[in-house]
Amino acid sequence: MSAEPILTVNNLNVKFNLRGKVLHAIRDISLTVYEGESLAIVGESGSGKSVFTKTFMGLLDANGYIESGDIIYKGTNLAKIKKEKEFIKIRGKEIAMVLQDPMTSLNPLKTIGSQIAEAIKMHQGLKGDALKAATIEILKDVGITEPERRYKQYPHEFSGGMRQRVVIAIAVACRPKILICDEPTTALDVTIQAQILKLLKDLKKKFDLTTIYITHDLGVVANVADRIAVMYAGDIVEIGKSEEIFYDPKHPYTWALLSSLPQLGIKGEDLYSIKGTPPNLFQPIKGDAFAPRNPLALKIDFIKRPPYFSVSGTHKARTWLLDERAPRVEPPEHIKMLKAQGGSYNG
Amino acid sequence: MIKYLGKRLARSLVTLCIIIVIVFSLLRMMPIEGYFQNFDKLTEAQIQAGIENMGLDKPLYEQLFVFFKNLLKGDFGISRTYRANVPIVTIIKDKIPVSMKFGIMSIGISMLFGLPLGILMARSKHGFWDKIGTGFIVFVEAVPAAVYFLFIQVFGTEWFHLKMLYSAEDKRTWILPIISMAIGNMAYYAMWLRRYMVDESNKDYVKLAKAKGQTPNGIMVHHVFRNAFVPMVQYIPNSILNTMIGSIYIESLYSIPGMGGLLVNVVQKQDNAMVQALVIIFASVGILGLMIGDILMCLIDPRISLIKKGGGR
Repeated sequence: MSAEPILTVNNLNVKFNLRGKVLHAIRDISLTVYEGESLAIVGESGSGKSVFTKTFMGLLDANGYIESGDIIYKGTNLAKIKKEKEFIKIRGKEIAMVLQDPMTSLNPLKTIGSQIAEAIKMHQGLKGDALKAATIEILKDVGITEPERRYKQYPHEFSGGMRQRVVIAIAVACRPKILICDEPTTALDVTIQAQILKLLKDLKKKFDLTTIYITHDLGVVANVADRIAVMYAGDIVEIGKSEEIFYDPKHPYTWALLSSLPQLGIKGEDLYSIKGTPPNLFQPIKGDAFAPRNPLALKIDFIKRPPYFSVSGTHKARTWLLDERAPRVEPPEHIKMLKAQGGSYNG
Repeated sequence: MIKYLGKRLARSLVTLCIIIVIVFSLLRMMPIEGYFQNFDKLTEAQIQAGIENMGLDKPLYEQLFVFFKNLLKGDFGISRTYRANVPIVTIIKDKIPVSMKFGIMSIGISMLFGLPLGILMARSKHGFWDKIGTGFIVFVEAVPAAVYFLFIQVFGTEWFHLKMLYSAEDKRTWILPIISMAIGNMAYYAMWLRRYMVDESNKDYVKLAKAKGQTPNGIMVHHVFRNAFVPMVQYIPNSILNTMIGSIYIESLYSIPGMGGLLVNVVQKQDNAMVQALVIIFASVGILGLMIGDILMCLIDPRISLIKKGGGR
């Protein structure tokens, strides 16, 4: 893994206007994505992981806006782009996206071939037979058999897993540098999930992609990620290498998240669930956003937002527990079991 | 496909036959005045002779059989009170082209303006054009057609110094009737196209198209409009029916020598045979429209498959 940053986000704040109120969806996130790495962003629904990556491509809904912060990609500040036209140069060609639901993300009335060709034509300027050949090549790359016949078919003639392969084909057809996979396997059957993840891994190698996975499935994460960013309430609360997050988590939210893994459940007992609900992002948040749900919360957690504390060169977490004045709190016993089980936590 | 067409055609024919039987039977219940030019002056014996002559004393099924037999030969019967003893085919031969001309032109005009209006409304959702368009649609849908038909005739002729009545030579007299006929369909097309385009533009595949770098115009043309147009096809038969309904009133309003005006005329004159013929013709056009709509739908929507696939998945 080279250590060249490809995308740098600094102090990003994203807000949404909703029914006259303002929702603070992304609260001052900074993140560096390195070239060639595979980063996973995990968090529960509504933690802002999708919104965060959508800002890279200017795909926020009309009522959302970047209030402050920078997103630097190849010397361009994506956060400052106002015109659709300029984003069109980025979308697909530089940063591409695989959406969650393959059943609805293809146009039902156009052939598979023409939908992939559309992307190739826009970004590589091919035409006619060369375009068709390139399209069939991509279909082969994503593991679709009989591509010549499949080329002429419509989405309804494809199964869910096959459609997701086509969606992936469209994304890589643009030859992007960064591929964002927004819950790429959530809508799929478990047996297909593994195949799709393998395909994404193979394509990453073949096309030298930097991949960002958005997921709430820790099984997926364990399979594909070099690094993991844990998001909670519009903020990255902990980030580190995959093994650091799984074997040496520091943030109580990460503990809670890992405790929810069914593999850690004890037979006959209820599965662990995090009590309470995520904070209301319409209100300003005081202190640590997770404090109200955190049984280990300290007094200061309710008063002051914790800064990042470095655990190692690659691992940092936003929790007062890492402050030297804090009482020593050990992670829950069963989290250590993960280490003992060593990777058998794949979903 | 051919098999489907055959089936669809056969079903349409069955529908048409049922309509003919019903119309024919209902009109047999009409007073017998409708079969004679000068009923009042005829003696009892003359009337009896006339009825026997026309075969009206025979049982209904026998009359129906004769009617169907003649129909197959292209014979709709003979007009009695509208133009005495003239074959109906001769009367309507000159009128069909006039009505068709107006019908086709008005549908063309309504598409020419209605579809772009729908696109404009969808693209400026909740914006200026959307509000203007919605106002227009609500007006057309809410106000009885007869009211604005009259309004167009009265004020149109006054403001633009156009003639009140139709004349085949003066093409300017065609303008107002065509606009009147087109206006309902225009609102209809705009309303549905806007709705389908708004629906389509919220779909996931539009997001994917955006994510792959397609321009907003490209998305509109290649994805949203194309997909929104498919369900629009089912409104073609309806718009043909609307045009026909409109033509009945508009043709008499402007004295256009077409089928619609004729229907009003023959109903007033109680010409049973003519009413029967015209209702059957209107019904056939309606059925034809429905059939064309269905066939077009299959042609442009690949998800509708008519043939059982041999291989497939």
